[in-house]
Amino acid sequence: MRIIDSIKIISKNYSTRSEQYYAKQIKNATVVCTNHLTPEIKLHLITEQCKLWHSPANECQFNDPFWAFYWPGGQAISRFILDNNKYVNNKTILDIGSGSAACSLASALAGANQVTANDIDPVACVAAKLNAQLNNINIDVLSKNILFNDCSQWEVIIVGDMFYSQDMADLLWKWLDMLCNQGKTILIGDPGRHCFKPKRHLQERLKKLKEYKLTENCCLENRGFSTASVWILE
Amino acid sequence: MARVLVGVKRVIDYAVKIRVKPDKSGVVTDGVKHGLNPFDEIAVEEAVRLKEKKIASEVIAVSCGLPQAQESLRTALAMGADRAVHVEVPQAQYDSLLPLHVSKILAKVAVDEKVDIVVVGKQAIDDDSNQTAQMTAALLGWPQATFASEVTVSDGNVLVKREVDGGLETVRVKLPAVISADLRLNEPRYATLPNIMKAKKKPIKKLSAADVGVDLAPRQQVLSVEDPPTRQAGSIVPDVDTLITKLKEKGHL
Repeated sequence: MRIIDSIKIISKNYSTRSEQYYAKQIKNATVVCTNHLTPEIKLHLITEQCKLWHSPANECQFNDPFWAFYWPGGQAISRFILDNNKYVNNKTILDIGSGSAACSLASALAGANQVTANDIDPVACVAAKLNAQLNNINIDVLSKNILFNDCSQWEVIIVGDMFYSQDMADLLWKWLDMLCNQGKTILIGDPGRHCFKPKRHLQERLKKLKEYKLTENCCLENRGFSTASVWILE
Repeated sequence: MARVLVGVKRVIDYAVKIRVKPDKSGVVTDGVKHGLNPFDEIAVEEAVRLKEKKIASEVIAVSCGLPQAQESLRTALAMGADRAVHVEVPQAQYDSLLPLHVSKILAKVAVDEKVDIVVVGKQAIDDDSNQTAQMTAALLGWPQATFASEVTVSDGNVLVKREVDGGLETVRVKLPAVISADLRLNEPRYATLPNIMKAKKKPIKKLSAADVGVDLAPRQQVLSVEDPPTRQAGSIVPDVDTLITKLKEKGHL
């Protein structure tokens, strides 16, 4: 119940002043981009056309705008869901570390019953709402840290490119192991990050579903990676 | 797929005018802009390209030096290295750190990380030693391909075009091997915000020289560091005849 309440509190509109302020900042700093693996979804992103792309990190007005980039793992999952809707169709979805919420939007387009985009960055939550609006899609946005909380209301957990640090990876594997034992479908997208290495007992349960070649601009944004894959934890 | 270790060094920025310390013990580094050694930048770029071509599975950047060496490692991570190893050397020992020490450290890290290829810049633009690649290869007992201007990896071999006097030499070496990057190997791509941002999350493992079992005792003593002599003023002669006369006077003709 607690989670549903908090979803309601963080309503679908930008009710607070700070949300309105973030929304304005996001619109100013980004462009609407479809140059990625899911061109049917429009996203507010920082691309080569934006000033921030070329700025040093300390001149960025946002604190690590991870939401402003469409991460390779997220692109792979979104493309996969759109092409294989059986994984999400008529199901309830939790998109963890949702950033731009692209995976949430893809899930909604693929026929999900209910989708929650979850990101602990309040700016990302506003970006998620802006992107939902841009595509005329209805999703719920949740900004609380959901890791190790009650997730009984969701059937599918989407993890797009979250294995970027060892601490985060350790935490995620532990949590996903638990969720998997509860019978949830877990979809993971990753371009082959160093920290995306599960412990032995999880290795056998992790299956690669599909590998995608990244677009040229995505490679430039993610130096060292040229593909991203979708995995299922069973 | 191969695992690649790239050596990077933080040096005084190439555009900075170097000043010698008044006591002639070295050059002024305090408050001076530093950056990643340009040849190491080329080495990192080549390693990342090997990863993009799926020849390398992992690129590990390593630096031996002051705490500030982390800046150079972050640059390497933003350029696409997966993770980094920082062998921290305190100032007192850093002042007398030699390519031999660095080579011993690189060789140890290469073995510990089970890498197949070590790539370094052909030389650092501060001390111009041009020794690290060669000594690392010798310490490891691996073949070396230095001054690379083109690198092709296939079937456990590396084909390297080397820049030598009067042209290019092509050598084939078996993996594992050590490669040093010359200027024309590639043009490094500038790291943009998304890469710099994502690099912040990549891990940097910190070690000491003792951790890798390398003795940093100085092997040589710097006697004096001096500015090059200032150029003497020339003189202008009115015509060719005078020029020839003067040259004859000075015994040049």
